[in-house]
Amino acid sequence: MRFLKNRAVLITILLFFVSLQLYSLNLREKSGQNFISQVVLTVTYYPQKIIYIVSDKVMTTWQDYMDLVNVRQENIRLHEDIQKLRVEKFELAEDGIQNQRLKKLLDFKEIPSYPIVSANVIGGSPSLLRSEVIIVDRGSHDGISQGMPVASSEGIVGRVLTVGDRSSEVLLITDPISAVDAFIHRTRVRGIVKGTGSGCVMEYIEQNSDVSKGDKVISSGKEGFFPKGVIIGTVSDIETKGNFLSAQVSPFVDLDSLEEVVVILKTNNNIVLNE
Amino acid sequence: MNKYLSIIFLVLLSVVFITIQTTLLSPHNLNYYYPDLNLILIVFLAIFSEVRGGFFLTLGNGYMMDVLSGNLPGTFAISRLSAYLLVRSGSNHVYLRKALVQGLVIFLATIFTWIFILTIIKIKKGDSGDITAKYILIQGIVNALFGIPIFWMIHRINARFQK
Repeated sequence: MRFLKNRAVLITILLFFVSLQLYSLNLREKSGQNFISQVVLTVTYYPQKIIYIVSDKVMTTWQDYMDLVNVRQENIRLHEDIQKLRVEKFELAEDGIQNQRLKKLLDFKEIPSYPIVSANVIGGSPSLLRSEVIIVDRGSHDGISQGMPVASSEGIVGRVLTVGDRSSEVLLITDPISAVDAFIHRTRVRGIVKGTGSGCVMEYIEQNSDVSKGDKVISSGKEGFFPKGVIIGTVSDIETKGNFLSAQVSPFVDLDSLEEVVVILKTNNNIVLNE
Repeated sequence: MNKYLSIIFLVLLSVVFITIQTTLLSPHNLNYYYPDLNLILIVFLAIFSEVRGGFFLTLGNGYMMDVLSGNLPGTFAISRLSAYLLVRSGSNHVYLRKALVQGLVIFLATIFTWIFILTIIKIKKGDSGDITAKYILIQGIVNALFGIPIFWMIHRINARFQK
């Protein structure tokens, strides 16, 4: 008990219990918009942006140099691609006209489109505890608010966790506290896509549902965050978990090498976290 | 005057370190093998800094980690403050002037902060992701290896302000 006479040890024990209480209070959502968090995001935004610009310039210069190598062969290949694309463009135009005609016939309701803001990824989480967080160079100044969905041209990325004046934090769909209401595109079977840290898993799929490897998983829009029909990933494995099926989902977007994303300016007051 | 310059230097260094840790050395890209510059700076403050604001600098550094990693407020702020206080309580020890001992202190501080955080998460049945004992040991070693030259560098610059 002699070590307890040490003031630092006593304070540490005290701090441990304070920390335990803070954890119970679960202040994440309340802190998401507090003044100090915004100051931290604003103070770190400018140096992060400088590092992003410098590293981007270096990488672009290196890439330009690499591109010069074998440029002749690339040119020939691109000419061939253009020919193919011209044919595809003509076919797509035909399909588009046919699509419009069929939509009118079916009295199809358009999926509501939302305004978007494009953003560059300027940083990531500084810790492995919740490493599935990225920092983008857009904030409340650009109309972004907490909870807005974030996507890339390939599919869902995550949603806005904390908003600063000029930058924001985005919680990726692979984070263990992320949850998205989704369904299998082919069969419309519903489930919840949760993050596992390294990937995603679709849970609460009814036992006798028609799900197979390679099926595409898209957002259902039911939880109110993500617009309906945005692609999440592909089913890579299926297993039985209690009374439900559980499907491993490989995200369509390569979340480790994200450079640009779009924030969908869709607000929702309900904060849904997997905790 | 020099005391204020020293504080300004340490505040700027905190921002630079956290910026590097969220960009070039982010675990989002480097996975296990990233040096925790923020923790290295806190151990430096505990051992060397004669600045009275070391306590608040540590709290601020920990809070920046909480905010930028999207963790609950206090997760890093309190665990790092505890590590600071423990190291500070033994900072007068003569052996702490040796680089090898400093490396050992950084290693132990890394282990301590992770045990502190993971114990709380375990008690509260939270999710600690993929963090294992192997990861903690690797990070402790990486921090110690990076920490020794960083200590030498900060110590030299900071000494100029404290003269």
